[in-house]
Amino acid sequence: MADYRVVGKGIPRKDSIEKITGQAKYTFDIVLPEMLHAKILRSLHAHAKIVNIDTSEAEKLPGVKAVITGKDTWGMRFGFVDTPRYPCEQPVIAEDKVRFIGESVAAVAAVDENTANEALDLIEIEYEPIPAVFDPEEAMKEGAPQIHGEQIPAPGRKCAWQDWGVARVARSYNPVNNIGATVNLSYGDSEKGFAEAEYIREDTWVVPRTSHAAMEPHGAVASYNPLTGYLDVWLSHMGYELKRYWISKTLGIPISKIRVHKTFIGGAFGGKAQVFDHEIIASFLSRKTGKPVKLILTRDEVFTSTNNSIALKINVKKGVKKDGTIVGQHVKLISDMGAYRGSVPVCLFLCHSMRDAIYNIPNLTHEGVGAYTNKSTTMAKRGHGSQQMTTAIESQMDWIAEDLGLDPVEFRLKNLRQKGDVLPNRDTLNSYGLPDCIKKIVEASNWKEKRGKLGPGRGIGLAVSAMFNGSGYWPFTAGSIVRMNHDGTVTLYMGQAEFGQGPTTTTCQLVAEELGLNVEDVNLVDGDSELCPLDYSNFLSGGMFVSCKAGLVAAQDLRQQILKVAAEMLEEDVEDLETMNRRVYIKTDPEEGVAFDEILRYSIQKHAGDLLMGKGFCKPVPEIEFYPSLSKGSGRWTDAYSFTASIAEVSVDAETGRTKVDHIWIGDDCGREINTAICEGQLQSQAVMGMGDALFEEVMFSEGRTINANFVDYEIPRAFDIPEITTIDASDPDPNGPFGAKEIGECARAAVIGSIVNAVYDATKVKITSLPLHPEKIFRGLEEKAKS
Amino acid sequence: MELAKKLIKVAVNGESRELWIKQNITLLDLLRDYLGLTGAKLACISNSCGACTVIVDDMAVKSCSVLAMQVDGKEVFTVEGLAKDNKLHPLQQAFIEHVAFQCGFCTPGKLMSAKALLDENPNPTEEELRRDMEGNLCRCTGYKKYIEAIMDVAQHPEKYSAKEG
Ligand code: FES
Ligand code: FES
Repeated sequence: MADYRVVGKGIPRKDSIEKITGQAKYTFDIVLPEMLHAKILRSLHAHAKIVNIDTSEAEKLPGVKAVITGKDTWGMRFGFVDTPRYPCEQPVIAEDKVRFIGESVAAVAAVDENTANEALDLIEIEYEPIPAVFDPEEAMKEGAPQIHGEQIPAPGRKCAWQDWGVARVARSYNPVNNIGATVNLSYGDSEKGFAEAEYIREDTWVVPRTSHAAMEPHGAVASYNPLTGYLDVWLSHMGYELKRYWISKTLGIPISKIRVHKTFIGGAFGGKAQVFDHEIIASFLSRKTGKPVKLILTRDEVFTSTNNSIALKINVKKGVKKDGTIVGQHVKLISDMGAYRGSVPVCLFLCHSMRDAIYNIPNLTHEGVGAYTNKSTTMAKRGHGSQQMTTAIESQMDWIAEDLGLDPVEFRLKNLRQKGDVLPNRDTLNSYGLPDCIKKIVEASNWKEKRGKLGPGRGIGLAVSAMFNGSGYWPFTAGSIVRMNHDGTVTLYMGQAEFGQGPTTTTCQLVAEELGLNVEDVNLVDGDSELCPLDYSNFLSGGMFVSCKAGLVAAQDLRQQILKVAAEMLEEDVEDLETMNRRVYIKTDPEEGVAFDEILRYSIQKHAGDLLMGKGFCKPVPEIEFYPSLSKGSGRWTDAYSFTASIAEVSVDAETGRTKVDHIWIGDDCGREINTAICEGQLQSQAVMGMGDALFEEVMFSEGRTINANFVDYEIPRAFDIPEITTIDASDPDPNGPFGAKEIGECARAAVIGSIVNAVYDATKVKITSLPLHPEKIFRGLEEKAKS
Repeated sequence: MELAKKLIKVAVNGESRELWIKQNITLLDLLRDYLGLTGAKLACISNSCGACTVIVDDMAVKSCSVLAMQVDGKEVFTVEGLAKDNKLHPLQQAFIEHVAFQCGFCTPGKLMSAKALLDENPNPTEEELRRDMEGNLCRCTGYKKYIEAIMDVAQHPEKYSAKEG
């Protein structure tokens, strides 16, 4: 392995001091002069016509500065997906009807929070309830209440993808039977595959909604200057480009007049990617009042009104030869979308494509449908489809292995794809560390001695997952600048959102490595839409592979500029020079050289004032202009895949049905670990989050009302619950990744969930086909097994 | 109806103050809105996440669930008071070196809980520590590095003695 000075080291984070002293300013901590406080009135009905809203009493309350309703934002639409096929349909504030409990119906800006809350109580709304539907399969039946009666989109409205350059015009339609998204793709012939198969198995899994539960609640501070027409915003987000695009599109403020300021961001996990009603509302209220407005959601609102992860019912039919060769697969998905599409159309597609890089299945059909229901919307959560599908597929793999008397490890290895494979959509596996991931953890966990041999109530299970590395999405590029400073240090300007996952620190490492600097010599300006270049951010897991790489490309550009001037000064050829410790030296005579600061002075004085400033760009999937078809799944969509294998060892208490995870081993292929401590942190994070998903996390509803919208009733893992975690690097460097690196923040969660599910089965032999594995389900299963 | 304001005396990070406050505000409001100390965070307001943890008279408390009136005459200690004379507290140093935190939102609360624990029991077992930290939720890290960092301070205090910040 190449020897690097800075890359591959577990050095401290760049944002350490701010975060351990309380100096880090999150959106909630922003205070501006004369700032107002806003609150949103939310629907208590799952489905109802709004007959009348009377805001007169609220407006009269002293201290109230503005009250707005759907009348003020009439016609404004937003959504995560806004393509010609799937134009977005979510209003900023409900107009003539509400579609879920928690939907915004009015908003107030007042001098303080108490006054705003008091004003909400004074708003009179006359509703006319209409029948609601909460189950996706009920929703698709003839005669079910129609959640969207109107035409989508409104005539003449341009969708986001048209704005971004797609030539097609948005299709207009009325959703029929509440169907809001479909996917239908196939290759080979799955029926032929089943005909060839010697064994066929079909299972149906149900994966519920969970909460992203980032510790920082969503929120916004907006400040509109009526004299200049500029809007300044502070948001809790995952990338500023998309947010300001949507604020611009809905409010009609030119995008170049919207500045998203740098804030610290308290976790995201997919749940802060899309623009939200509250962000547009805060901006609207600021423009209306001419004053800064702060709007922070409560935890209850985060649960009920932002978004949950995507709920899926997954039916998988698989045909296999006796020797374990998979010959056919047919997947059918049904998603409980919620009142608006959220990211479900994308998820239905990703359920296929995240898994397509793993097993070689010659005959495959993948169908999915998303149905509108009277619940909040659902969104990508750390893995976006991968964890749902991995749970269903990987548990079935174990059950097939059991039925056919195959070893589950061998069965998987036999069906893996190979490095260099070209997938049916033409993506190429230039790197493929998955076999190594499996082999390394099988060894480390002592799998062979344990599987099926741990004794009653104990089990061990394996699962594997894959993740993409960026795909086409606004603004389709990431840019970066690295500038030389007077003292020979550099400053990196990068736009990617830092919400804990560490891209700012790792990009500084990439830059330092390239230029022969220490990380301390790389200053950082990040996360501000006005100071930093356009940035795709970490969308679609492209943080490292696309956005961080742009920083490396900028450093490479700067390096060439430095060497060119140094060559002139030293009267040497560029090829004979090397950079180290803020200086350029002659390779054959390291004593001879010039310092970076001298090089900058020389460049300015001897040339036309030339500063030394590198720029770098990077695009996800360089060969394609736009996204592949979501509904047909055709076309290339990513340039590299990351892989994880996870093994979990568990104990299940037969008396209570309670599962304790004892140990998780993760083998991960992230191409190359740029910061080993951050990578380890990402894997530990996913091990623990995945444990919550597997064992207890579920957002529960009763008639459309979330009944566990707080951290007492919705449990997330706590310090006491955590298992032993062993993480093993099994990276296969990707030729297109920066120093070979790929993503590491999302892939593992799915494999962890699958491995816990399989370990619980190994311990109990109870087939459970719904998450989470509540003690109750296990207890009942054990009881039934004892009976039979 | 507005309640009459009351005068309280409180020492915050070693500095005594007299403040006229509304009687219904929480300690977290007092720190954030009256004193501009925004290190303590609000993540749940229901006493169930620990993001707002500060120390009152040597006890870790969830400041979202304590009325400001209740700290009258007491000493309050927040994350902003942890580094002294430009020197980081050993726990802060350990958090940096172990790369214990990610988004950092739960970090001030974790630091204050850990400090209260170590002040009372400088040599906790890992089990005691994990139990004690149960009320401090973290969604990012999986807790492991936090636990390692705190245990390191307990077991190897010499590694983290006063260091220039
Ligand atoms: S905000 Fe105080 S415990 Fe959560
Ligand atoms: S570091 Fe993000 S919640 Fe703990």
